[in-house]
Amino acid sequence: MRARVVVTLCVVVAVLLAGVPWIASPATIEFGINMLLLAALAQSWNIIGGYTGYPSFGNSVFYGLGSYGTAVAMLSWQLPFGVGLVVGAVIAVVFALLLGRAVLRLRGHYFAICTLGVAEVMTAIVSNLEITGRNQGLVLPLLKGNVLFYELSLALVVVATLVVWWIARSRFGFGLVAIRENEEAAASMGVDTTRYKIFAFAISAAIGAVAGGIHAYWITFIDPVSAFDIGLNVKMIIMAVFGGPGSILGPVVGAFVLSAISEVLSSEISTVAGLFFGIVIVVAVVFMPRGIADLLRRFHTYRWRYFAANVRATRV
Amino acid sequence: MDAVLSVNGLSKRFSGLTAVAHVSFELGRGEILGLIGPNGAGKTTLVNLISGALEPSDGELVFEGRSIGGLPPFRRAHLGIGRTFQIMRPFPGLTVRDNVAVGALFGTGGGERDLAKARAIAHEKLDFVGLARVADRPADALGGPDRKRLELAKALAMNPRLLLLDEVMAGLNLSELEEVIAIIRKVRDGGVSVLVIEHVMKAIRSLSDRLLVLHHGEMIAEGTPEHVLEDPAVVEAYLGKRRE
Amino acid sequence: MNLLWQGIVNGVLLGGLYALMALGLALVWGVLNIVNLAHGALIMLGGYVCYYLFTGAHIDPFVALPITAAVLFVVGYAIQRRLLNLVIRAPMFNTLLITFGLDVVLTYAAQIAFSADFRTVNPSYAGANFSLLGATVPVVRLLAFVIALALTFGLWLFLTRTPLGRAIRATSQNLVAARLYGVEPRRIYALTFGIGAALAGAAGALYGVVSQLNPYIGTSLTAKSFVIAIIGGLSNPLGVIVGGLVLGLVESMTSLYIGATYTNVASFGILVLVLIVRPTGLLGRTA
Repeated sequence: MRARVVVTLCVVVAVLLAGVPWIASPATIEFGINMLLLAALAQSWNIIGGYTGYPSFGNSVFYGLGSYGTAVAMLSWQLPFGVGLVVGAVIAVVFALLLGRAVLRLRGHYFAICTLGVAEVMTAIVSNLEITGRNQGLVLPLLKGNVLFYELSLALVVVATLVVWWIARSRFGFGLVAIRENEEAAASMGVDTTRYKIFAFAISAAIGAVAGGIHAYWITFIDPVSAFDIGLNVKMIIMAVFGGPGSILGPVVGAFVLSAISEVLSSEISTVAGLFFGIVIVVAVVFMPRGIADLLRRFHTYRWRYFAANVRATRV
Repeated sequence: MDAVLSVNGLSKRFSGLTAVAHVSFELGRGEILGLIGPNGAGKTTLVNLISGALEPSDGELVFEGRSIGGLPPFRRAHLGIGRTFQIMRPFPGLTVRDNVAVGALFGTGGGERDLAKARAIAHEKLDFVGLARVADRPADALGGPDRKRLELAKALAMNPRLLLLDEVMAGLNLSELEEVIAIIRKVRDGGVSVLVIEHVMKAIRSLSDRLLVLHHGEMIAEGTPEHVLEDPAVVEAYLGKRRE
Repeated sequence: MNLLWQGIVNGVLLGGLYALMALGLALVWGVLNIVNLAHGALIMLGGYVCYYLFTGAHIDPFVALPITAAVLFVVGYAIQRRLLNLVIRAPMFNTLLITFGLDVVLTYAAQIAFSADFRTVNPSYAGANFSLLGATVPVVRLLAFVIALALTFGLWLFLTRTPLGRAIRATSQNLVAARLYGVEPRRIYALTFGIGAALAGAAGALYGVVSQLNPYIGTSLTAKSFVIAIIGGLSNPLGVIVGGLVLGLVESMTSLYIGATYTNVASFGILVLVLIVRPTGLLGRTA
């Protein structure tokens, strides 16, 4: 019963969001595209970080490969945008399959740091390649009209959320959660941990790459530093964790809430918005370490003691 | 007797230290084999070698007529080898039922594909070990004895043909002990071969068809419980341990 | 040949400073099991403290260094005591995230307080140098190198020879052992983080003398500190010297023979390779 209410609500929200471009100002639509792309990225991180428990700092690489894959396909090979998105996604998935084999053997800090290193290396490599325009980056053909990009971004969020919804109630998802909770036990119960982890990484890569491709064509300009920006990876993590990692809607809600707050603040002064972001992270980790999703689930039983209980559980 | 598992000259060395030294034995279909020995004798290492968590330095493992050396743990689980862990490892973020459902979804033969069916199997196994009342609780809310049962239920949900039990009875009181013994017997009556590591001597004596004694990684005795427990070498291994 | 020799000298001098940068990160990681993503921001903060002591109070940077370290110790102690102790038993990911949040807060606070302009600590002798077998050795870089090594060695002596140092090492093994030393874990944690921050402060002061400061240097310094800690391992503070020298030499050689734009490929490439091939570091084991 409750599940049906949530699903209905989600459909209504999605339909309302789809109608926004017909009533909103261009500035609002631009804000909406950024917000939706971040939601899709947070959701893609959720698959490898939230469900599988591997805190990846390399997802910005998938985004960057998607941006460049789409751009190179359109510029160097004269392919249409749609095909370009597929090219970007395929490159990212192949990269995830190869990279995953090597780095998904590492755990915890080591995995996080190794993926961070990979992101740095990729930025530097792309800044030095001829086909990617080196440091100067690439300029894509201009396509007027934010509406198409808005609807595409919204569709990506919906698809990503449906994928996560499928994962959450599938045998595959059970395997991922078992890996997150206890990898050795999962293996001894018959979960092919290596294949599952790599598969999760690849799905995450595909979604991130499409987001990168949409963004590249929308902005019409990409350069290595912004396309492979680790700060973007950090945003995905913060939004997913703020909303509730390992939940179906948490990352999307987290991305919407934080984007909105940050938009309001940065219209004042951007430095203050940055400072606020940092404070939100610190406060959220201390008082609601399992995100909004968990807060909503348990607040009615614990009330305000919820926050104190979280602190008590982890302090020394 | 039709051997489900044959272990031939199995050894495991950790940088100079020999944890398991040239162990050989066979386990028959529907047999309960007790594995005993002082702390640090290499019992858990042996279970890890059979389940695939560790690779042996030497020796051969044959399960139902096929060599399983070098197979990763999940493949051995698919073949029908289920295990429990001495240090209990529930999936803390999942409910008790879903913990067990993981076993049903991935166990022997690759497991059950259908989630609803897996949950039904999980419920049946929880009922079997007496945990049905807490099926919807998160696994990390369970106390010690219930966690032992949960470990057992998770392994059983895999529908294993060989069950490796690593100290599932430690810390249980007398009536709980009897319940668990009855459960293991029932499992065996279903045709499952069982290897039990246990420190509770009374339990292992009444449960096992045969006993195997490890000491410093070596097999020092094998045979019926009565016979083995009177073996001077075994007595010395235990008493020697006590004097330390 | 002469170019190579100059490259080696540059790499070694840089490596000493790198070692000091990584020292605090490795200490906190090894003892508290926190990978402090705000470590580079603390280095940045130390640089500014030294800068203002020099430009505001006209204190020589090498005299200001201990003052800077003391200020950062207080900052670090307070951060651990008031904030990080609240989440010390949380999953590793949460501590990673909270120190990232701290990094963001410190960076933007620095931007508001100090502006985004480049600053450098520029004493009268900044340009002094001498020739060593044909290679130019800037005096401030040599001084920074010597101080960095002395501090690293000093920490090693402190951890192995003093009761407090032994208590800190025991804490990294387990809490019960720490209690046997009669020390409260809360205080030991705060002290350890304070020492880590003080070392970052000292590194920052030296960094301000040999290079340029701005509020955003923290992230890349954190990343480099990681690389060094990973190469050197966490078990022995002297490992960071090896790690620092390796990174310093690799960066210097890469910019000499391949091109300055490839230094990041080289240093992070090493990080990725070391992690994949030998996750416990090139030397020793991690805790």
